[in-house]
Amino acid sequence: MLDAFAQSKKGRKELNPKRVLILYSEGRDAPGDIAMQQAFQMELEKLSTNHIVFIEEHLYARHFSDQEDYKIFQDYLGRKYTKKDLDLIMVFPSGDYTLAGALPDALFPDVPVVFASVNDSLVPYDIRKLGVTGIVQRYDIRGTLGLIMRLQPDTHEVVVIGGNSEEDRKSLGRIIKTAQGLEGVQLKFWTNQPLAGLQRTVKLLMPGTTILLSAFHRDVSGEPYSMPQVAQMLAPLANVPIYVMGGMAVGSGAVGGVVADSETLGKRSGQLAFEVMGGLKPESVPMEVETKGTPMVDWRALQHWHISDNRIPKDCIVRYRPNTLWDLHRNLILFSLAVILTQTATIVGLLAQRRRRHEAEREILEQRMELAHVTRVSTLGQLTSMLAHELGHPLGAILRNTEAAEIFLKNEPPDWEEIRSILEDIRKDDQRASRVIDQLRSLLKRRHLELKALDLGELLNEVVSLTESDARARGVHLILNLPPKLPPVYGDRIHLQQVLLNLILNGMEAMSAIEKRERQLTICVEIKKDGHIEVIVSDCGTGIPPDKLKQLFEPFFTTKPEGMGMGLAISKTIIDAHGGTICGENHVRRGAVFKFTLPPAPGNL
Amino acid sequence: MIPPPEPGTIYIVDDDPSFLKSISRFLRASGYPVQTFESAEKFIKQLAPEMSGCVLSDLQMPGLNGLELQAALAGSANPLPVVFISAQLDIPKTVRAMRSGAEDFITKHSSKEELLDAIRRALERGAQERKDRERLKKIRAQFEMLSARELEVLEQVVRGGMNKQISANLGIAMRTVKLHRTNLTRKLQVQSVPELTRLAEEAGLFKRDKSP
Repeated sequence: MLDAFAQSKKGRKELNPKRVLILYSEGRDAPGDIAMQQAFQMELEKLSTNHIVFIEEHLYARHFSDQEDYKIFQDYLGRKYTKKDLDLIMVFPSGDYTLAGALPDALFPDVPVVFASVNDSLVPYDIRKLGVTGIVQRYDIRGTLGLIMRLQPDTHEVVVIGGNSEEDRKSLGRIIKTAQGLEGVQLKFWTNQPLAGLQRTVKLLMPGTTILLSAFHRDVSGEPYSMPQVAQMLAPLANVPIYVMGGMAVGSGAVGGVVADSETLGKRSGQLAFEVMGGLKPESVPMEVETKGTPMVDWRALQHWHISDNRIPKDCIVRYRPNTLWDLHRNLILFSLAVILTQTATIVGLLAQRRRRHEAEREILEQRMELAHVTRVSTLGQLTSMLAHELGHPLGAILRNTEAAEIFLKNEPPDWEEIRSILEDIRKDDQRASRVIDQLRSLLKRRHLELKALDLGELLNEVVSLTESDARARGVHLILNLPPKLPPVYGDRIHLQQVLLNLILNGMEAMSAIEKRERQLTICVEIKKDGHIEVIVSDCGTGIPPDKLKQLFEPFFTTKPEGMGMGLAISKTIIDAHGGTICGENHVRRGAVFKFTLPPAPGNL
Repeated sequence: MIPPPEPGTIYIVDDDPSFLKSISRFLRASGYPVQTFESAEKFIKQLAPEMSGCVLSDLQMPGLNGLELQAALAGSANPLPVVFISAQLDIPKTVRAMRSGAEDFITKHSSKEELLDAIRRALERGAQERKDRERLKKIRAQFEMLSARELEVLEQVVRGGMNKQISANLGIAMRTVKLHRTNLTRKLQVQSVPELTRLAEEAGLFKRDKSP
């Protein structure tokens, strides 16, 4: 039960709403009024466990100041709110407090009343008798004069403009009193002019002069005004900056002042209201009097008067500065920046890492390719007999044919048919020799991978014919089994030749220890289901030691005493670069089988 | 199918069809009867005693290689001389070939003079060896006509024995020794003892007991 209660207290507002009547003695038109009310409501809602209904009434008391008007208000408010259970009346007096303060007392004697005011001149000294409590912010005259000197150090005269009502004169009296203790600043008082006159004279002030606007509830002609209203009327006309005593007026064209901060005042009054609603008798809550204001300036006015930003005091509230993205989303921006920086750092790091890895990979590949070249050359060394043979045959044939032709030419009549046939054979042998040389050259040339569509059958035939004489010398029977239809593969001819040469030479060497008539090396080709083409080189040799199967393709792995151990590693590099796979295993009966796959040429999948 | 063997034919064995064709063409144009074979096996299959001439063989071939062909020939009834022809000069192989009696060793691009000289030498040797073989055959046939007793007497005569000694050694009468000697000279168609001795030597008779 208790838990549930606590939870309901914490978690949600109690169902019974509290009603707060906000009574403005005037209208709610100054920028500060709105800020103050918002702060008040927010604070009260935050503190209260109840849902709160705020109701506003604006009396515009200055315009309805006689007894008749009083009765109308009383009647109106009495009728309107009698049947409603009000929990608090909050008064924001900015004109005649008597009206605003007396009304609730007369109408709803049981409802506590709290007020918040920006000028103690408005609050009657006997307010305690009325059974209310509140906060009063006094004009910070010294502070405001200090702000003027700070923002405009060349000021030598301050024109104080004030109203002519009783409260206005009270405020002026305090200003005069305070200014007496200050040196270096001349104060001039314009308090006996109607506003229309002021509107003309504020245009004609001397440089080095500033205007300080004091309380202005009525001008000399008796017309009701308010400080924000007067500031708003004079600021566009004045040829010097205007400062104000009340925070409500900041934002009405004045530069600023050291004033009651509406928000702080609103918040404090919210706390006070909460205490009173909680059951404290208003009379027992001491009235708060704030004498120190907060410097507050209107950024737009500063710009207008070319007052440098760096003159603004540190603790000064700057209002109406167009919110930069920075102001609006400082944390978001900082967070985003942090995220972006972190990401950038990560990305840069990853890129660097990737680049290093790529470089390393490229280096390895280059080294492998270089080694491929070296081993190709050394493979060629092993194949010199084959090369001499391959070249010796066609060259020898050409020589013999030429000699035969010479003889046939000497005959009478020359055997033209025979000579023609000889010439044809010479051409064929010459082409054959050229092919051998081409192969030799391309094998010797160092190059990078050049992938293109290749006729695998042709490639295999070339390699087999290249190794045939070597096979003969070793007594190996080479068998090439090609399927009738073979799609082109995608590969680099020379590098694939290299792989095949490696596998064939390895296979032949593996058979050196077995009976000559059993030495058989088979190369066959299969087309896999996925379209890849598999080349299978199998020998009948001694096979691969089972414990060495895993290391087969590792660099410097060799079973041959004079081997460098790079052949298969390079073969793997080459096949990998083709996007194929290579593997080696032992045949079920005997010998080793090496298989590698190659992707089909594009368009032949 | 098989052409009748022409005397002095060059039997060429090479697995390279192009080279085989060109060299046979050249040798034919140079006036030699030629027969070509793609492998040593095929040649040996057709080898006949009446074939004369020489063999021109590639050294490296699938199946039986050149040296193996030579060995096979040497052990046959018709040991034709062999000239090896190789794509390149391979010293160890050359040495082995020469040791086992190769007439010559040339490369595929040796000059035609070298080739023709080698062939001429081989043919000459072949002809000579054939002549020697035929003469030996004839002599052996003559000796085969002798009776066992006549061979005994012949041996004593070749060793320089006088009739008296022969009669004592063999335990036969002097007159019988004289009769055998007459028969020997008639059968072997010789007139004198030195002639008889040379002939017996030629036939390779009595070599073992020559020393005492």
